[in-house]
Amino acid sequence: MEQENVLQMQQVNKSFDRVVALCNVDFELKPKEILGLLGGNGAGKTTLMNILYGLYRADSGTILLKGQPVTIHSPRDAIRQGIGMVHQHFLQINNYTVLENIILGSKVSHPLSANYQVEEAAIKELCKRFGLEIDLSARVETLPMGTRQKVEILKALYRGVNILILDEPTTNLIPQEVDSLFETLKIMVREGLSIVFITHKLREVLSICDRITVLREGKNVVSLTRKEASDEALVRAMVGDKMDLEKSVMFTSHEDSATVAGSQEVLSLEGVSLISQHKIQQLTDISFSIGSGEIFGVAGVAGNGQRELAEVVMGVQPVTSGKINFNGQEITTHSTKERIAEGFVYVPEDRLSDGFLNKASVAHNLILGYHNLEPYSKKGIINWKNVHENSRKMINEYNIKTTGPDEIGGNLSGGNIQRVMIARAFSQPSRLMVAHNPTRGLDIPSMDFVYQKLLGNSATGTAILLLSEDLDELLLICNRIAVMYRGKVVGILPREKFEKYEIGRLMSGYEQKSK
Amino acid sequence: MSGLETTITDFLKLTFLSMVPFVLASQGTMLGGRTGVFNVAQEGIMLVGASVGFLVSYTTGSNLIGALVAMAAGGLFGLVLAYFTTTLKMDQFVVGLALFFIGTGLSSLLPKLVIGITLTPPLVKTLPEIPIPLLSQIPIIGPVLFKQNILVYFSILLSIFLWYILFRTNMGLRLRSVGENPKASDALGINVVSNRYITSIIGGMLIGLAGAYLPMVYTGTFTDLMTKGRGWIAIALTFFGAWSPLPILIGSLFFAAIEVLSFRFQVGGSFIPYQFLSMLPYIATIIVMIFTFGKSRVPAFLGQNYDRERRTL
Amino acid sequence: MTQIKKFFPYLVSVLAAFLVVGVLLWALGFNPIKAYQTILFTSFRTPNGFVQTLLKWIPLTLTALAFTVPLSSGKFNIGAEGQMLVGAIGATAVGILFKDLPPALLLPLVILAGMLAGSFWGLIAAWLLYQFNINEILSTVLLNFISFALVDFVATGPWRDPAAGHPTTIPIGANGFLPVLVKNPPLHSGIILAVIVAIAVYIFTSKTTSGYELLVTGANPRASKVHGIDTRKMFLFSLVIGAAVAGLAGVIEAAGTHHRLIEGLHSNFPTLGLIIGLMARGKNQAVPFVAFFISILEVGGSAMQRTIMVPVQIVLIAEALILIFILLSDIIKRRQK
Repeated sequence: MEQENVLQMQQVNKSFDRVVALCNVDFELKPKEILGLLGGNGAGKTTLMNILYGLYRADSGTILLKGQPVTIHSPRDAIRQGIGMVHQHFLQINNYTVLENIILGSKVSHPLSANYQVEEAAIKELCKRFGLEIDLSARVETLPMGTRQKVEILKALYRGVNILILDEPTTNLIPQEVDSLFETLKIMVREGLSIVFITHKLREVLSICDRITVLREGKNVVSLTRKEASDEALVRAMVGDKMDLEKSVMFTSHEDSATVAGSQEVLSLEGVSLISQHKIQQLTDISFSIGSGEIFGVAGVAGNGQRELAEVVMGVQPVTSGKINFNGQEITTHSTKERIAEGFVYVPEDRLSDGFLNKASVAHNLILGYHNLEPYSKKGIINWKNVHENSRKMINEYNIKTTGPDEIGGNLSGGNIQRVMIARAFSQPSRLMVAHNPTRGLDIPSMDFVYQKLLGNSATGTAILLLSEDLDELLLICNRIAVMYRGKVVGILPREKFEKYEIGRLMSGYEQKSK
Repeated sequence: MSGLETTITDFLKLTFLSMVPFVLASQGTMLGGRTGVFNVAQEGIMLVGASVGFLVSYTTGSNLIGALVAMAAGGLFGLVLAYFTTTLKMDQFVVGLALFFIGTGLSSLLPKLVIGITLTPPLVKTLPEIPIPLLSQIPIIGPVLFKQNILVYFSILLSIFLWYILFRTNMGLRLRSVGENPKASDALGINVVSNRYITSIIGGMLIGLAGAYLPMVYTGTFTDLMTKGRGWIAIALTFFGAWSPLPILIGSLFFAAIEVLSFRFQVGGSFIPYQFLSMLPYIATIIVMIFTFGKSRVPAFLGQNYDRERRTL
Repeated sequence: MTQIKKFFPYLVSVLAAFLVVGVLLWALGFNPIKAYQTILFTSFRTPNGFVQTLLKWIPLTLTALAFTVPLSSGKFNIGAEGQMLVGAIGATAVGILFKDLPPALLLPLVILAGMLAGSFWGLIAAWLLYQFNINEILSTVLLNFISFALVDFVATGPWRDPAAGHPTTIPIGANGFLPVLVKNPPLHSGIILAVIVAIAVYIFTSKTTSGYELLVTGANPRASKVHGIDTRKMFLFSLVIGAAVAGLAGVIEAAGTHHRLIEGLHSNFPTLGLIIGLMARGKNQAVPFVAFFISILEVGGSAMQRTIMVPVQIVLIAEALILIFILLSDIIKRRQK
């Protein structure tokens, strides 16, 4: 029995400058279903949904709602057509309250005075109906991620949408919050909504979605029902033949993925605390050590001090108290420059804003951080010949598509920009690598490449501090995982004790039961 | 009234009189900033407002028409700023600086073209005081608050009006969200572009009026570069007032007081050479910035252009 | 061919600006052809015209570099005016106080004092940025206004020249005058200093490690910081260097052109320097060439005002329009990609 589609997108094409994001893509959504839109980073899932929501304009293609063609040129149009979207990075006004965020942009009963009683009542009704519990007068910047996401969902429900798109909704959630979200989704479907669930995580799609559509490199690959789908079928669909699955890190058995850690201590932190210039305690009494060749993971919901920890280890921020030791010597007061010279390599999390120079050349980008070391410079003068030679080598080895070392960085496509930064990080011999969300934004083959490189580095003795919001990633390759909550290390688990829900409990603040 | 009363009254009255260009220019800056447009052309726009305002007042005999045309000129500059930054996505500082040059150059050029060179400076009638019956009889407060020219009343009322609009109406809620997170506003159907254009234009109008005030109230004529940095000080003032209309009003009073004081001492004679006294307003501004920069609550996306289709990794 | 393609947008911008201004001139009742003849050719009609152009080129190049060097690190130095004036004050002060020293001592002292004074003036704004995160556009502009008062104080104080109608100091010691290269028309050695500085700036930014750090700081301060570069020091450093160069412009005007401190000696050089810096799109190596073009316009502009009574502000409008068109052409180039 073929149910009539509530939404259809036909032959959608979209390019950004010279890069093709979507090529003749078809998409169908049936009423009262949860449809998984699956694919790696860069597959085109978010682009397709952004077109549906009016944030992007397609170069060509049609959108049909209940069989009728519609034009959507802005989010306003989309909302009017009953389509809502919960973005990966919440689009909220941080210093507004939950109530203000929900009613923003909508028609209010008293536009000339700040009287929102009518609206408040309506929202409380919705909360009851969908099983959501939120304090409407709280400022959203004070709320935890899971609650902020509920606010995003409420925004859409308040506008009476019947199609809701969720873009990578579980990125910032602990396992328990993920379960709660899935419950909410099921209630919503019962109440008549249709849901598009964009993700790159296989497990999620198999546990919550009724049907699954897979995109790869901007094209349709396959659409399956949950019954028809299996791990293998989906992986093959997502990755195609771009990856040798047998040799990959991600899809082979976990047990032999992590190398055995050496015993020589490379990095240790003793009682490190950090108080920011705004007098906020960012880190409290952090102590741990990493041995040579060990991959030491740090798990936690974003914003619990991970960035501060990475910066303190790299010397970008000075500690307020405590000690940092490297290979037995205290380096607490060493500058970032000194640490880099000593063999520290940093892969910052926000790679575009923290790691790339759009207006400078590819060569300038490739030597960033190492520009004052040999062979690039001597006694304060840069040897551009060496720079260009090495740049060409890296361009070859890491498959960076560019016209040459002198091309302006901003001209490169997103994927190649990532390759430049990976090349820079992994071409440099390192004793300690601090990697923060290193695979964020990468497509699946690139993610696997990074894992291979990380394992390769650890095999040669590099100690790796891997901070990640992707729990699966940490479970895959780490020897030990520390969990951070509100700037403290609330537990450290060895590989034998890795358990997702236990880690989730730690991530939400419960102290570790057994140390 | 005793001598002391007279001195205080005169001082306060002069302060309220002098705060007008600061209030108008700062509120104009604040409006644009609340939607993310960081205008740095104030000095040039004020000069154009002063020049155009004076010339039109002189040729038509009406200060009102002069003020209106000055506002139109300021609004035009605001429109150009909005177009180059919001639509063409050019760097806001660069565009602001370019407009500052053009404004400065135009303000000097126009009088030479319209009036040419004369032996005695051409004059316009200065703005009359409009006393409010009964209220203006109150000792001290009366003359200070209720016996001023119309633009003083306008500045005060404008500040209250802006506060109400921004913080007590739905329109204000939407407007502020554009400067805090344009992507979020856009996703909710709020028109980021039109909000930026409107605040830039109205902001420009206010700044133009601030400039027109100077010949209309102080000297009765236009002289080159007569703003003497007030446009730049207005920017610092906006930071000092945390981009909020009521604190800006208070801050403007404070700056006006310093300006009046430094002038008083220069004229009255003191052992400090008058040049150093004339530096007071600028030094005061720097000191104020030391205390407010970094602590002031600034719209999160101030100075940043918004491109709906820009992809981030 | 690609070289010509590179210059094409600049050429078009200039022509478009000239067209607009030509129409404006015609509407105001002047003869545009005559006006442009005077503007463009005065520099080349007489040796004096050429020397005047060179003499204007010096402060224009220096004040433009005072803007572009900090711009490389992302900071806007609007204070060249004040830094130039304070540099002139420093040069004049030393030139008057030590007027009896032999030229081998006095001359270098005068130059050094001026550059140090100018860089000190820039250091104030730089330090306010470093310590308190104060926006340098505001602080440099405010310091400009303070410097005007300072100049007035010095020019009307104990060193005042009673015979002059306009606030001016007595001349500095003759041993402090910048040596003259050509007697008639008078061209002083300031031009050598300017050329040296321009070349030095170029070498610094393109060949040294610190120059690299300056550039990447401007390209992405956050990324530079996490990769070991002390960006706050870079900001400070670039502002102080820019200020020193502006100070040198003041030294040259005081010790080379006027031989004393005259109120207003900065003329419109710093404003034009800013415009030149923006026209050169922040590229230090383009500055000397753009500055030369603007010098031609300036010399021609004042001649035009003298001979055919066209207000000299028209030239400023033309220059602003050229800037706008150049910036617009950038947008068009971006859109074409």
